[in-house]
Amino acid sequence: MQIYLPIAELSVNLFFLVGIGGAVGFLSGLFGVGGGFLLTPLLIFSGVPTAVAVASVTGQVVAASTSGALSHYRRGGVDLHLAMYLVLSGIVGAFGGVAAFDLLREAGQLDLVISLGFLVLLGFVGVLMLQESVRALLKRRQGVVVRERQANQHNWIHGLPWRVRFKKSRLYISVLPVLLIGLFIGFVGSLLGIGGGFIMVPALVYLLRVPGSVVIGTSLAQVVAMMAATTVLHAVQSQSVDILLAFCLMVGGVAGAQFGAAAGMHLRGEQLRGLLALLVLAVAIRFGLSLVLTPDDVFSMAVTSVAP
Amino acid sequence: MIRFALALFAIVCLVLPAGAERLFSSVSTETVQITSSFDGERLTFFGTIAPDAGAEQKFVEGPFHVVVVVVGPTQDRVARKKTNNFGVWLNTEQVEFKGFPSYFHVLASTRLRDITDVNTLTTNYILPESHAISPNPAGWWQTLNFGHELIRLMSEQDLFGVQENGVLFHSESFYSAQLTLPSNAPPGPYIAQTYVFKDGEIVARKSDGFAVRKIDFERFVALSATQYPLLYGLACVALALFTGWLGGVLFRR
Repeated sequence: MQIYLPIAELSVNLFFLVGIGGAVGFLSGLFGVGGGFLLTPLLIFSGVPTAVAVASVTGQVVAASTSGALSHYRRGGVDLHLAMYLVLSGIVGAFGGVAAFDLLREAGQLDLVISLGFLVLLGFVGVLMLQESVRALLKRRQGVVVRERQANQHNWIHGLPWRVRFKKSRLYISVLPVLLIGLFIGFVGSLLGIGGGFIMVPALVYLLRVPGSVVIGTSLAQVVAMMAATTVLHAVQSQSVDILLAFCLMVGGVAGAQFGAAAGMHLRGEQLRGLLALLVLAVAIRFGLSLVLTPDDVFSMAVTSVAP
Repeated sequence: MIRFALALFAIVCLVLPAGAERLFSSVSTETVQITSSFDGERLTFFGTIAPDAGAEQKFVEGPFHVVVVVVGPTQDRVARKKTNNFGVWLNTEQVEFKGFPSYFHVLASTRLRDITDVNTLTTNYILPESHAISPNPAGWWQTLNFGHELIRLMSEQDLFGVQENGVLFHSESFYSAQLTLPSNAPPGPYIAQTYVFKDGEIVARKSDGFAVRKIDFERFVALSATQYPLLYGLACVALALFTGWLGGVLFRR
Protein backbone atom coordinates (compact mmCIF):
# COMPACT_ATOMS: atom_id res chain seq x y z
CA MET A 1 0.00 0.00 0.00
CA GLN A 2 1.48 3.31 -1.10
CA ILE A 3 1.21 6.43 0.99
CA TYR A 4 1.92 9.93 -0.31
CA LEU A 5 4.23 11.99 1.88
CA PRO A 6 3.14 15.64 1.57
CA ILE A 7 6.49 17.27 2.38
CA ALA A 8 8.82 14.76 0.76
CA GLU A 9 6.42 14.88 -2.24
CA LEU A 10 6.72 11.24 -3.16
CA SER A 11 4.85 8.08 -2.36
CA VAL A 12 6.41 5.30 -0.34
CA ASN A 13 5.15 1.89 0.72
CA LEU A 14 3.43 2.25 4.09
CA PHE A 15 4.49 -1.19 5.30
CA PHE A 16 8.08 -0.46 4.41
CA LEU A 17 8.04 2.68 6.56
CA VAL A 18 6.36 1.03 9.55
CA GLY A 19 8.65 -1.97 9.03
CA ILE A 20 11.93 -0.07 9.18
CA GLY A 21 10.51 1.97 12.06
CA GLY A 22 9.75 -1.28 13.87
CA ALA A 23 13.11 -2.90 13.11
CA VAL A 24 15.04 0.15 14.27
CA GLY A 25 12.68 0.48 17.26
CA PHE A 26 13.49 -3.11 18.22
CA LEU A 27 17.21 -2.35 18.17
CA SER A 28 16.73 0.90 20.04
CA GLY A 29 14.73 -0.88 22.74
CA LEU A 30 17.35 -3.60 22.90
CA PHE A 31 20.30 -1.25 23.26
CA GLY A 32 18.62 1.72 24.91
CA VAL A 33 19.46 4.20 22.16
CA GLY A 34 17.17 6.38 20.06
CA GLY A 35 17.94 4.67 16.77
CA GLY A 36 18.23 7.86 14.74
CA PHE A 37 21.70 6.88 13.59
CA LEU A 38 20.18 3.85 11.83
CA LEU A 39 16.93 5.37 10.65
CA THR A 40 18.30 8.49 8.95
CA PRO A 41 20.72 6.53 6.72
CA LEU A 42 18.02 3.93 5.93
CA LEU A 43 15.62 6.65 4.78
CA ILE A 44 18.26 8.43 2.71
CA PHE A 45 19.14 5.10 1.17
CA SER A 46 15.51 4.44 0.21
CA GLY A 47 15.15 7.68 -1.72
CA VAL A 48 13.77 10.16 0.80
CA PRO A 49 15.52 13.54 0.31
CA THR A 50 18.32 13.95 2.89
CA ALA A 51 16.85 17.12 4.38
CA VAL A 52 13.42 15.56 4.90
CA ALA A 53 14.92 12.37 6.33
CA VAL A 54 17.04 14.19 8.90
CA ALA A 55 14.28 16.57 9.97
CA SER A 56 11.57 13.91 10.20
CA VAL A 57 13.70 11.43 12.12
CA THR A 58 14.17 14.02 14.87
CA GLY A 59 10.40 13.78 15.39
CA GLN A 60 10.53 9.99 15.50
CA VAL A 61 13.38 10.06 18.05
CA VAL A 62 11.18 12.12 20.39
CA ALA A 63 8.50 9.43 20.27
CA ALA A 64 10.95 6.55 20.60
CA SER A 65 12.61 8.07 23.68
CA THR A 66 9.46 9.31 25.44
CA SER A 67 8.20 5.98 26.77
CA GLY A 68 11.68 5.05 27.97
CA ALA A 69 12.23 8.42 29.63
CA LEU A 70 8.84 8.23 31.37
CA SER A 71 9.44 4.76 32.78
CA HIS A 72 12.90 5.79 34.02
CA TYR A 73 11.40 8.91 35.56
CA ARG A 74 8.84 6.85 37.50
CA ARG A 75 11.63 4.72 38.88
CA GLY A 76 13.55 7.84 39.88
CA GLY A 77 16.27 7.33 37.30
CA VAL A 78 16.33 10.88 35.92
CA ASP A 79 18.52 13.66 37.28
CA LEU A 80 16.34 16.58 36.17
CA HIS A 81 18.84 19.16 37.40
CA LEU A 82 21.61 17.70 35.26
CA ALA A 83 19.25 17.15 32.33
CA MET A 84 18.21 20.81 32.46
CA TYR A 85 21.81 22.00 32.08
CA LEU A 86 22.33 19.59 29.19
CA VAL A 87 19.11 20.61 27.46
CA LEU A 88 19.65 24.37 27.75
CA SER A 89 23.14 24.20 26.28
CA GLY A 90 21.88 21.62 23.82
CA ILE A 91 19.26 23.99 22.45
CA VAL A 92 21.96 26.58 21.81
CA GLY A 93 23.90 23.88 19.98
CA ALA A 94 20.80 22.91 18.02
CA PHE A 95 20.41 26.49 16.76
CA GLY A 96 23.92 26.24 15.40
CA GLY A 97 23.30 22.80 13.97
CA VAL A 98 20.13 23.78 12.13
CA ALA A 99 21.80 26.92 10.75
CA ALA A 100 24.78 24.84 9.57
CA PHE A 101 22.32 22.35 8.07
CA ASP A 102 20.73 25.09 5.97
CA LEU A 103 24.05 26.59 4.87
CA LEU A 104 25.39 23.19 3.84
CA ARG A 105 22.24 22.34 1.96
CA GLU A 106 22.55 25.51 -0.07
CA ALA A 107 26.22 24.84 -0.75
CA GLY A 108 25.45 21.30 -1.88
CA GLN A 109 27.69 19.75 0.75
CA LEU A 110 25.01 18.47 3.15
CA ASP A 111 25.32 14.83 2.11
CA LEU A 112 29.08 14.98 2.35
CA VAL A 113 29.07 16.44 5.85
CA ILE A 114 26.43 13.98 7.00
CA SER A 115 28.47 11.07 5.65
CA LEU A 116 31.67 12.43 7.20
CA GLY A 117 29.93 13.17 10.48
CA PHE A 118 28.50 9.69 10.75
CA LEU A 119 31.83 8.16 9.78
CA VAL A 120 33.90 10.05 12.33
CA LEU A 121 31.39 9.98 15.15
CA LEU A 122 30.18 6.42 14.77
CA GLY A 123 33.65 5.12 14.00
CA PHE A 124 35.10 6.75 17.09
CA VAL A 125 32.30 5.76 19.45
CA GLY A 126 32.08 2.27 17.94
CA VAL A 127 35.75 1.54 18.45
CA LEU A 128 35.64 2.84 22.04
CA MET A 129 32.58 0.80 22.88
CA LEU A 130 33.94 -2.36 21.29
CA GLN A 131 37.21 -2.00 23.17
CA GLU A 132 35.43 -1.48 26.45
CA SER A 133 33.01 -4.37 26.05
CA VAL A 134 35.69 -6.82 24.87
CA ARG A 135 37.78 -5.89 27.89
CA ALA A 136 34.80 -6.41 30.17
CA LEU A 137 33.99 -9.76 28.56
CA LEU A 138 37.59 -10.96 28.94
CA LYS A 139 37.72 -9.86 32.56
CA ARG A 140 34.51 -11.67 33.33
CA ARG A 141 35.91 -14.79 31.74
CA GLN A 142 38.99 -14.48 33.95
CA GLY A 143 36.75 -14.19 36.98
CA VAL A 144 37.53 -10.56 37.80
CA VAL A 145 34.62 -8.65 39.33
CA VAL A 146 34.00 -5.53 37.28
CA ARG A 147 33.22 -2.53 39.40
CA GLU A 148 30.75 -0.17 37.82
CA ARG A 149 32.13 2.99 39.36
CA GLN A 150 34.84 3.89 41.72
CA ALA A 151 33.60 6.51 44.15
CA ASN A 152 36.87 8.37 44.59
CA GLN A 153 37.98 8.20 41.00
CA HIS A 154 38.56 11.72 39.74
CA ASN A 155 39.97 13.10 36.55
CA TRP A 156 41.02 16.52 35.28
CA ILE A 157 37.41 17.48 34.63
CA HIS A 158 36.72 17.56 38.34
CA GLY A 159 39.28 20.31 38.81
CA LEU A 160 37.42 22.93 36.71
CA PRO A 161 35.75 25.99 38.25
CA TRP A 162 32.01 26.88 38.64
CA ARG A 163 31.10 23.74 40.48
CA VAL A 164 27.46 22.82 40.96
CA ARG A 165 25.99 20.08 43.13
CA PHE A 166 23.83 17.51 41.32
CA LYS A 167 22.11 15.70 44.19
CA LYS A 168 20.61 12.78 42.35
CA SER A 169 23.85 11.95 40.56
CA ARG A 170 25.79 12.47 43.79
CA LEU A 171 28.12 14.79 41.89
CA TYR A 172 29.77 18.08 42.70
CA ILE A 173 31.35 19.15 39.44
CA SER A 174 32.01 22.12 37.22
CA VAL A 175 29.18 23.07 34.83
CA LEU A 176 31.65 23.69 31.99
CA PRO A 177 31.98 20.07 30.80
CA VAL A 178 28.24 19.57 31.24
CA LEU A 179 27.46 22.59 29.07
CA LEU A 180 30.07 21.59 26.49
CA ILE A 181 28.67 18.08 26.19
CA GLY A 182 25.15 19.50 25.80
CA LEU A 183 26.32 22.03 23.21
CA PHE A 184 28.19 19.42 21.18
CA ILE A 185 25.36 16.90 21.19
CA GLY A 186 22.82 19.58 20.34
CA PHE A 187 24.88 20.66 17.35
CA VAL A 188 25.71 17.21 16.05
CA GLY A 189 22.26 15.80 16.78
CA SER A 190 20.39 18.44 14.82
CA LEU A 191 22.90 18.31 11.98
CA LEU A 192 22.83 14.53 11.60
CA GLY A 193 19.26 13.81 12.74
CA ILE A 194 20.29 11.64 15.65
CA GLY A 195 19.38 11.79 19.32
CA GLY A 196 22.96 11.37 20.37
CA GLY A 197 22.18 8.88 23.14
CA PHE A 198 25.11 6.75 22.08
CA ILE A 199 27.46 9.71 22.61
CA MET A 200 25.68 11.05 25.66
CA VAL A 201 25.81 7.81 27.66
CA PRO A 202 29.58 7.26 27.35
CA ALA A 203 30.20 10.99 27.95
CA LEU A 204 28.17 10.95 31.16
CA VAL A 205 29.74 7.71 32.35
CA TYR A 206 33.38 8.25 31.45
CA LEU A 207 33.76 12.03 31.61
CA LEU A 208 31.35 13.10 34.35
CA ARG A 209 31.21 9.80 36.28
CA VAL A 210 27.44 9.90 36.56
CA PRO A 211 26.29 6.74 38.39
CA GLY A 212 24.79 3.97 36.24
CA SER A 213 21.38 4.19 37.89
CA VAL A 214 20.62 7.62 36.45
CA VAL A 215 22.71 7.62 33.24
CA ILE A 216 20.16 6.08 30.87
CA GLY A 217 17.18 7.96 32.30
CA THR A 218 18.93 11.32 32.23
CA SER A 219 20.22 10.73 28.73
CA LEU A 220 16.75 9.76 27.51
CA ALA A 221 15.13 12.79 29.15
CA GLN A 222 17.76 15.00 27.54
CA VAL A 223 17.16 13.36 24.13
CA VAL A 224 13.38 13.94 24.37
CA ALA A 225 13.74 17.63 25.20
CA MET A 226 16.58 18.24 22.75
CA MET A 227 14.97 16.49 19.83
CA ALA A 228 11.64 18.18 20.51
CA ALA A 229 13.36 21.55 20.27
CA THR A 230 15.27 20.43 17.17
CA THR A 231 12.06 19.28 15.47
CA VAL A 232 10.52 22.72 15.99
CA LEU A 233 13.72 24.40 14.75
CA HIS A 234 13.80 22.26 11.61
CA ALA A 235 10.10 22.90 11.02
CA VAL A 236 10.66 26.66 11.23
CA GLN A 237 14.00 26.88 9.46
CA SER A 238 14.08 24.29 6.68
CA GLN A 239 10.36 23.35 6.66
CA SER A 240 11.32 19.81 5.85
CA VAL A 241 9.66 17.90 8.69
CA ASP A 242 7.23 15.44 7.16
CA ILE A 243 4.68 14.73 9.87
CA LEU A 244 3.24 11.74 8.03
CA LEU A 245 6.64 10.17 7.50
CA ALA A 246 7.55 10.80 11.13
CA PHE A 247 4.26 9.32 12.32
CA CYS A 248 4.66 6.10 10.29
CA LEU A 249 8.14 5.67 11.74
CA MET A 250 6.90 6.45 15.26
CA VAL A 251 4.17 3.82 15.17
CA GLY A 252 6.63 1.14 14.09
CA GLY A 253 9.34 2.43 16.39
CA VAL A 254 7.29 2.62 19.57
CA ALA A 255 5.94 -0.91 19.09
CA GLY A 256 9.33 -2.33 18.11
CA ALA A 257 11.03 -0.73 21.10
CA GLN A 258 8.86 -2.68 23.54
CA PHE A 259 9.85 -6.03 22.02
CA GLY A 260 13.46 -4.92 21.89
CA ALA A 261 13.43 -4.02 25.57
CA ALA A 262 11.95 -7.43 26.41
CA ALA A 263 14.61 -9.20 24.32
CA GLY A 264 17.30 -7.13 26.02
CA MET A 265 16.51 -8.80 29.35
CA HIS A 266 18.09 -12.01 28.10
CA LEU A 267 21.47 -10.47 27.32
CA ARG A 268 24.17 -9.22 29.65
CA GLY A 269 25.20 -5.57 29.65
CA GLU A 270 28.61 -5.99 28.08
CA GLN A 271 27.23 -8.36 25.46
CA LEU A 272 24.66 -5.74 24.53
CA ARG A 273 27.29 -3.03 24.36
CA GLY A 274 29.51 -5.25 22.23
CA LEU A 275 26.69 -5.89 19.78
CA LEU A 276 25.77 -2.20 19.67
CA ALA A 277 29.42 -1.36 19.03
CA LEU A 278 29.47 -3.74 16.05
CA LEU A 279 26.27 -2.20 14.70
CA VAL A 280 27.60 1.34 15.10
CA LEU A 281 30.85 0.35 13.39
CA ALA A 282 28.97 -1.28 10.52
CA VAL A 283 27.06 1.95 9.85
CA ALA A 284 30.29 3.94 10.10
CA ILE A 285 32.01 1.66 7.58
CA ARG A 286 29.03 1.91 5.24
CA PHE A 287 29.35 5.71 5.28
CA GLY A 288 33.10 5.53 4.93
CA LEU A 289 32.80 3.36 1.83
CA SER A 290 30.31 5.77 0.28
CA LEU A 291 32.96 8.49 0.53
CA VAL A 292 35.88 6.60 -0.97
CA LEU A 293 34.32 4.15 -3.42
CA THR A 294 33.62 5.40 -6.93
CA PRO A 295 29.96 6.47 -6.87
CA ASP A 296 27.51 4.84 -9.30
CA ASP A 297 26.72 8.27 -10.61
CA VAL A 298 29.07 11.21 -10.22
CA PHE A 299 26.24 13.58 -11.11
CA SER A 300 23.42 14.57 -8.80
CA MET A 301 20.77 17.25 -8.80
CA ALA A 302 18.86 19.37 -6.34
CA VAL A 303 16.17 22.02 -6.38
CA THR A 304 17.51 25.33 -5.16
CA SER A 305 14.28 27.28 -5.18
CA VAL A 306 10.79 26.92 -6.51
CA ALA A 307 9.96 29.76 -8.86
CA PRO A 308 6.73 31.53 -7.88
CA MET B 1 -8.61 47.22 -63.09
CA ILE B 2 -7.81 43.66 -64.05
CA ARG B 3 -4.29 44.18 -62.73
CA PHE B 4 -5.67 45.36 -59.39
CA ALA B 5 -8.02 42.38 -59.15
CA LEU B 6 -5.11 40.00 -59.83
CA ALA B 7 -3.02 41.69 -57.14
CA LEU B 8 -5.88 41.40 -54.68
CA PHE B 9 -6.30 37.73 -55.54
CA ALA B 10 -2.60 37.15 -54.96
CA ILE B 11 -2.77 38.83 -51.56
CA VAL B 12 -5.79 36.74 -50.57
CA CYS B 13 -3.93 33.62 -51.67
CA LEU B 14 -0.97 34.56 -49.52
CA VAL B 15 -3.01 35.37 -46.44
CA LEU B 16 -5.18 32.29 -46.70
CA PRO B 17 -3.02 29.43 -47.81
CA ALA B 18 -4.91 26.54 -49.36
CA GLY B 19 -4.89 24.23 -46.35
CA ALA B 20 -5.40 26.31 -43.19
CA GLU B 21 -5.90 24.07 -40.19
CA ARG B 22 -7.19 24.59 -36.75
CA LEU B 23 -6.80 22.41 -33.69
CA PHE B 24 -9.42 21.53 -31.11
CA SER B 25 -7.85 19.83 -28.13
CA SER B 26 -8.56 18.98 -24.54
CA VAL B 27 -7.22 17.13 -21.48
CA SER B 28 -9.10 14.39 -19.67
CA THR B 29 -8.41 15.85 -16.23
CA GLU B 30 -8.47 19.51 -15.28
CA THR B 31 -7.09 18.93 -11.79
CA VAL B 32 -4.96 16.01 -10.77
CA GLN B 33 -5.69 15.57 -7.08
CA ILE B 34 -2.99 14.37 -4.76
CA THR B 35 -4.54 12.42 -1.92
CA SER B 36 -2.79 10.25 0.64
CA SER B 37 -3.08 7.24 -1.67
CA PHE B 38 -1.82 9.15 -4.74
CA ASP B 39 0.35 6.87 -6.81
CA GLY B 40 0.47 8.64 -10.13
CA GLU B 41 -2.36 9.33 -12.53
CA ARG B 42 -3.11 8.58 -16.14
CA LEU B 43 -4.05 11.53 -18.33
CA THR B 44 -5.43 11.53 -21.85
CA PHE B 45 -4.85 14.33 -24.32
CA PHE B 46 -7.10 14.30 -27.33
CA GLY B 47 -8.12 16.55 -30.15
CA THR B 48 -9.16 16.90 -33.72
CA ILE B 49 -7.76 18.88 -36.62
CA ALA B 50 -10.36 20.85 -38.53
CA PRO B 51 -10.30 23.42 -41.36
CA ASP B 52 -9.71 26.95 -40.14
CA ALA B 53 -12.72 29.21 -39.57
CA GLY B 54 -12.37 31.27 -42.73
CA ALA B 55 -11.05 28.51 -44.95
CA GLU B 56 -13.04 27.33 -47.94
CA GLN B 57 -12.30 23.63 -47.77
CA LYS B 58 -14.52 21.23 -45.86
CA PHE B 59 -11.89 18.64 -45.04
CA VAL B 60 -8.33 18.80 -43.89
CA GLU B 61 -5.73 16.96 -45.83
CA GLY B 62 -3.02 15.06 -44.07
CA PRO B 63 -0.85 13.37 -43.33
CA PHE B 64 -0.51 15.20 -40.03
CA HIS B 65 1.84 14.65 -37.15
CA VAL B 66 0.99 15.68 -33.63
CA VAL B 67 3.41 16.47 -30.82
CA VAL B 68 2.14 17.07 -27.28
CA VAL B 69 4.61 18.73 -24.90
CA VAL B 70 3.66 18.57 -21.23
CA VAL B 71 5.57 21.02 -19.04
CA GLY B 72 5.36 21.21 -15.25
CA PRO B 73 6.04 24.20 -12.98
CA THR B 74 9.54 25.63 -13.25
CA GLN B 75 12.16 25.56 -10.53
CA ASP B 76 15.77 26.57 -10.12
CA ARG B 77 17.78 23.38 -10.22
CA VAL B 78 21.45 22.58 -9.88
CA ALA B 79 23.36 19.71 -11.38
CA ARG B 80 26.40 18.74 -9.35
CA LYS B 81 29.38 16.63 -10.16
CA LYS B 82 31.47 14.64 -7.73
CA THR B 83 35.18 14.44 -8.27
CA ASN B 84 37.82 12.46 -6.47
CA ASN B 85 39.94 14.65 -4.20
CA PHE B 86 42.69 12.78 -2.39
CA GLY B 87 40.59 9.63 -2.32
CA VAL B 88 37.35 11.26 -1.20
CA TRP B 89 34.46 11.91 -3.54
CA LEU B 90 33.16 15.46 -3.19
CA ASN B 91 30.64 17.63 -5.01
CA THR B 92 33.02 20.12 -6.54
CA GLU B 93 31.41 21.44 -9.71
CA GLN B 94 27.90 22.67 -10.18
CA VAL B 95 25.81 24.47 -12.75
CA GLU B 96 22.54 26.13 -11.89
CA PHE B 97 19.65 26.13 -14.31
CA LYS B 98 17.15 28.89 -13.59
CA GLY B 99 13.53 28.31 -14.50
CA PHE B 100 14.08 24.67 -15.35
CA PRO B 101 10.90 22.60 -15.83
CA SER B 102 10.22 20.22 -12.96
CA TYR B 103 8.37 17.97 -15.38
CA PHE B 104 8.73 17.63 -19.14
CA HIS B 105 7.28 14.92 -21.34
CA VAL B 106 7.00 14.86 -25.09
CA LEU B 107 4.45 12.65 -26.80
CA ALA B 108 4.72 12.35 -30.55
CA SER B 109 2.96 10.41 -33.29
CA THR B 110 6.24 9.22 -34.78
CA ARG B 111 9.96 9.81 -34.45
CA LEU B 112 10.61 13.49 -33.86
CA ARG B 113 13.34 13.72 -36.50
CA ASP B 114 10.89 12.34 -39.06
CA ILE B 115 8.39 15.06 -38.15
CA THR B 116 10.57 18.13 -38.56
CA ASP B 117 14.13 19.43 -38.37
CA VAL B 118 16.12 19.91 -35.18
CA ASN B 119 15.99 23.69 -35.48
CA THR B 120 12.20 23.82 -35.33
CA LEU B 121 12.21 21.34 -32.44
CA THR B 122 14.70 23.39 -30.48
CA THR B 123 13.22 26.83 -31.05
CA ASN B 124 9.79 25.60 -29.97
CA TYR B 125 11.20 23.89 -26.85
CA ILE B 126 10.06 20.47 -27.98
CA LEU B 127 13.36 18.73 -27.28
CA PRO B 128 14.29 18.29 -23.60
CA GLU B 129 17.76 19.58 -24.43
CA SER B 130 16.37 22.94 -25.51
CA HIS B 131 15.83 23.79 -21.83
CA ALA B 132 19.46 23.19 -21.01
CA ILE B 133 21.09 25.38 -23.64
CA SER B 134 19.89 28.77 -22.50
CA PRO B 135 22.72 31.21 -21.72
CA ASN B 136 24.35 30.46 -18.40
CA PRO B 137 27.21 32.12 -16.51
CA ALA B 138 28.91 28.73 -16.27
CA GLY B 139 29.92 28.83 -19.94
CA TRP B 140 28.43 26.94 -22.85
CA TRP B 141 30.52 23.78 -22.56
CA GLN B 142 29.76 23.23 -18.86
CA THR B 143 26.13 24.13 -19.48
CA LEU B 144 25.84 21.63 -22.31
CA ASN B 145 27.53 18.91 -20.29
CA PHE B 146 25.67 19.44 -17.02
CA GLY B 147 22.41 20.10 -18.82
CA HIS B 148 22.71 16.75 -20.56
CA GLU B 149 23.36 15.01 -17.24
CA LEU B 150 20.53 16.88 -15.54
CA ILE B 151 18.11 15.71 -18.22
CA ARG B 152 19.38 12.15 -17.76
CA LEU B 153 18.85 12.35 -13.98
CA MET B 154 15.36 13.77 -14.48
CA SER B 155 14.58 11.00 -16.99
CA GLU B 156 15.70 8.37 -14.50
CA GLN B 157 13.12 9.73 -12.08
CA ASP B 158 10.51 9.65 -14.83
CA LEU B 159 10.21 13.44 -14.69
CA PHE B 160 11.54 13.93 -18.20
CA GLY B 161 10.82 11.74 -21.17
CA VAL B 162 10.12 11.46 -24.86
CA GLN B 163 7.59 8.94 -26.14
CA GLU B 164 7.82 8.87 -29.90
CA ASN B 165 4.82 6.60 -30.26
CA GLY B 166 2.79 8.36 -27.58
CA VAL B 167 0.23 9.95 -29.91
CA LEU B 168 -2.24 7.70 -31.70
CA PHE B 169 -4.27 8.75 -34.74
CA HIS B 170 -7.73 7.18 -34.76
CA SER B 171 -8.64 8.76 -38.07
CA GLU B 172 -6.98 11.18 -40.48
CA SER B 173 -7.60 14.07 -38.08
CA PHE B 174 -8.52 12.66 -34.66
CA TYR B 175 -5.77 11.78 -32.22
CA SER B 176 -5.34 10.84 -28.59
CA ALA B 177 -2.30 10.55 -26.35
CA GLN B 178 -1.92 8.95 -22.94
CA LEU B 179 0.51 10.01 -20.27
CA THR B 180 1.05 8.52 -16.83
CA LEU B 181 1.96 11.22 -14.36
CA PRO B 182 4.32 9.67 -11.78
CA SER B 183 3.71 10.01 -8.04
CA ASN B 184 6.72 12.30 -7.69
CA ALA B 185 5.33 14.79 -10.22
CA PRO B 186 5.64 18.17 -8.48
CA PRO B 187 2.40 19.97 -7.66
CA GLY B 188 1.64 23.16 -9.57
CA PRO B 189 0.35 24.41 -12.90
CA TYR B 190 1.04 22.29 -15.97
CA ILE B 191 0.77 23.21 -19.63
CA ALA B 192 0.18 20.80 -22.47
CA GLN B 193 1.27 22.45 -25.70
CA THR B 194 0.03 20.62 -28.78
CA TYR B 195 1.66 21.17 -32.19
CA VAL B 196 0.25 19.93 -35.49
CA PHE B 197 2.87 19.36 -38.18
CA LYS B 198 2.35 18.96 -41.88
CA ASP B 199 5.31 18.48 -44.17
CA GLY B 200 7.67 19.51 -41.41
CA GLU B 201 5.90 22.81 -40.72
CA ILE B 202 3.79 23.75 -37.74
CA VAL B 203 0.31 24.35 -39.13
CA ALA B 204 -1.60 24.67 -35.86
CA ARG B 205 -0.94 24.83 -32.16
CA LYS B 206 -2.91 25.06 -28.96
CA SER B 207 -2.12 24.95 -25.27
CA ASP B 208 -4.25 23.43 -22.54
CA GLY B 209 -3.60 23.82 -18.86
CA PHE B 210 -4.18 21.47 -16.00
CA ALA B 211 -3.14 21.55 -12.36
CA VAL B 212 -1.59 19.03 -10.02
CA ARG B 213 -2.79 19.89 -6.58
CA LYS B 214 -2.63 18.45 -3.10
CA ILE B 215 -6.10 18.25 -1.59
CA ASP B 216 -7.67 17.53 1.78
CA PHE B 217 -5.17 16.28 4.34
CA GLU B 218 -2.08 16.54 2.09
CA ARG B 219 -2.94 20.13 1.25
CA PHE B 220 -3.58 20.93 4.89
CA VAL B 221 -0.24 19.48 5.96
CA ALA B 222 1.76 21.17 3.21
CA LEU B 223 0.08 24.51 3.86
CA SER B 224 0.59 24.40 7.61
CA ALA B 225 4.22 23.41 7.17
CA THR B 226 4.95 26.47 5.05
CA GLN B 227 2.55 29.06 6.50
CA TYR B 228 2.54 28.19 10.21
CA PRO B 229 5.91 26.46 10.64
CA LEU B 230 6.09 27.08 14.38
CA LEU B 231 2.65 25.63 15.08
CA TYR B 232 3.37 22.77 12.70
CA GLY B 233 6.61 21.96 14.52
CA LEU B 234 4.86 22.08 17.90
CA ALA B 235 2.14 19.79 16.54
CA CYS B 236 4.80 17.33 15.37
CA VAL B 237 6.36 17.32 18.83
CA ALA B 238 2.97 16.91 20.53
CA LEU B 239 2.18 14.00 18.25
CA ALA B 240 5.55 12.41 18.99
CA LEU B 241 5.18 12.82 22.75
CA PHE B 242 1.65 11.41 22.64
CA THR B 243 2.64 8.43 20.50
CA GLY B 244 5.59 7.68 22.76
CA TRP B 245 3.46 7.96 25.90
CA LEU B 246 0.66 5.85 24.40
CA GLY B 247 3.16 3.19 23.35
CA GLY B 248 4.51 3.03 26.88
CA VAL B 249 1.00 2.70 28.34
CA LEU B 250 -0.20 0.12 25.82
CA PHE B 251 2.78 -2.18 26.14
CA ARG B 252 3.42 -1.83 29.84
CA ARG B 253 3.16 -5.14 31.63
